[in-house]
Amino acid sequence: MERVNRGSALMWVIVALVVVVGGFSILGGKGGAPSTETGPIKIGVIGPLTGDAAIYGEPFRNTVQLAIDEINATGGIGGRQVEAIYEDGQCNGKEGANAAQKLVNVDKVQAIIGGVCSGETLTVVPIAEKGRVVVVSPSASSPALTGISPYFFRPYPSDASQGNVLANIAYTDKGWKKVAVIQEQVDYAVGLYKVFNQVFSGLGGKTVKEEFSSNVTDFRSVLTKLKAEKPDALFVLTQTAASTQRILKQMEELNWKPQIILDEASAGDKETLTTYKSQLEGALTSEFIPDLSNAKLQKLMSDYKAKYGTELPYLGYMAPAYDIVYILKDGIASVGYNGEKLATWSRTIKDWQGASGSVTISSDGDRVGGYSSEVVHDGKTEPYKK
Amino acid sequence: MDIAIQIALNALIAGAIYSLVVLGFNLLYSTSRFFDLGYGAIAIAGGYAVLYFYKLLGLELWSSIILGIFIAGILGFCIEKIIYRPLRTRKASSAVLLIASLGVLTVIQAVLAILFTSQFQTLGRGAGESRTFEIFGGAITQTQSIILITALVVMTALGLVLKYTLFGKAVKAIADDEEVASIVGINSERMIGIVFFIGSAIGGMAGIATGFDTGLQPTIGLSLLLKGVIAAIVGGIGNVYGGVLGAFLLAIIENLGAWQFSGEWKDAIAFIVLVVFLLFRPQGILPK
Repeated sequence: MERVNRGSALMWVIVALVVVVGGFSILGGKGGAPSTETGPIKIGVIGPLTGDAAIYGEPFRNTVQLAIDEINATGGIGGRQVEAIYEDGQCNGKEGANAAQKLVNVDKVQAIIGGVCSGETLTVVPIAEKGRVVVVSPSASSPALTGISPYFFRPYPSDASQGNVLANIAYTDKGWKKVAVIQEQVDYAVGLYKVFNQVFSGLGGKTVKEEFSSNVTDFRSVLTKLKAEKPDALFVLTQTAASTQRILKQMEELNWKPQIILDEASAGDKETLTTYKSQLEGALTSEFIPDLSNAKLQKLMSDYKAKYGTELPYLGYMAPAYDIVYILKDGIASVGYNGEKLATWSRTIKDWQGASGSVTISSDGDRVGGYSSEVVHDGKTEPYKK
Repeated sequence: MDIAIQIALNALIAGAIYSLVVLGFNLLYSTSRFFDLGYGAIAIAGGYAVLYFYKLLGLELWSSIILGIFIAGILGFCIEKIIYRPLRTRKASSAVLLIASLGVLTVIQAVLAILFTSQFQTLGRGAGESRTFEIFGGAITQTQSIILITALVVMTALGLVLKYTLFGKAVKAIADDEEVASIVGINSERMIGIVFFIGSAIGGMAGIATGFDTGLQPTIGLSLLLKGVIAAIVGGIGNVYGGVLGAFLLAIIENLGAWQFSGEWKDAIAFIVLVVFLLFRPQGILPK
């Protein structure tokens, strides 16, 4: 017995040694990757791959992968292939932070594309900054992200612009004095409400707000309350179209047909616009719309359709997502794959031409430019005319 | 004053769905004696079954609903047979059964998400299809009225069945003491199987009603179940009429709270009600 025991103990020691030594040599090889110039360039990608916001996360992942495949097919960056590591941020801060921790500390990426939602991005940035990793979001639009870190930039405008546009038209053009707001308790909606309220009250208007948490599905009593306030319009301010659809359905059941203001997150959802066509007729909204006549955008749309079999949705979010990959490519080509250098480089981006148009990043990390106002007509958005 | 009437109607609508949840839950709990978390997911599975037959296959509405209820019942029956029964014969504690049911909940949610995506979907075929009735300045739709009537009919039927039929008496006997019930010749395994079928079928109705009312998502089963549990505890666990009373009381308090304070407090209010009852009247309004 003892002999066998000793023998097997020896065996285990050998196995352990092999594992440790083998592991070291494999990991050691990987650990040295940032300095060696041959392995693939690993870029972290964070987006909501599950949950309500997966309607953004799925096309976002497809779009990023499309751009990476194109780059790899044409020789990669300086001869190195690009590899994306996708993590699920679930559109919330907690999962965003987990994803960032993994990408920064385990995968040791130098750049993260994402998050898609403001809530994700707000927690990703501080973790990335600590690890000196650059973060670039295609669609997180909260004003709280403006100037948050030298390591963060976004080829997407801040909601400060969206709130401004909506509040000005609502008060000045439409003559609405009292606007009811039904607002989801997420960073994106909070940020947009703050700007809207500030500008609208500054002009002399008044807002009445009701908040709801993301898991609420029954809005009837909140809507009943807002209806009794007899507002001139209702601002439906949600993170995803799912909540907006529920709200619109329940409003109709309550026989309430006010003027509606929509945020860009719902206005970009074709299904919402067509299903609730009659209720949304004349609704005021604003989107960051890339120029449809742009040849790069047209190519992206047709390539996307050819590859995935569906139309590219949410152009305002996906065109910047596509551009980010190419912006990073240019950045890596000129300063190397290094988070710190890329962060400094990002502030020099000026008149960069992409699918979302001309990109210029200001010193606070935001895209220069803004939202344009739109109205909903016959289930589609159209440019707003006074 | 029409705001008060509308709030009351809103409470009635929410209460009707909570009632259906609690009716099935109470029935399962009184015989199996554990908090079956899987029940929430089974209810939603019933809703998704209707989604499949009605919206994807284009079957007629009522036959889809009947199929949906039946599928929820069968699902509950099978899960009891395959998972809970072997555990119970091994004399597993209710904590073990609770954890097993958590597994059931997670698996069903995941399967639903794979089959139907995790997007929000509604069972109605389009906006504005349901007629709206005006009652003293408040509005209630035809679909909502049907849900309300269904809840009351199921409650009455279940109350009568449990009181007057042999099956009802057997269920009561098992609820009192399963061992003694088997000694006097009740086939308790078979009875529990039937109870799981009926209870899950009623849960399926709740899931279908939710699908028509606020829409389906694989993960809403748990919050639906929690509301049912609160209603059961408030009303008196195991009591058919108590559960329904608790459901409407919960709905009224929630909607009053949303009106008087703010909508964001709705869930908090529900749980405050639960804690208050657990502390001061743990047996509920109508004890068994």
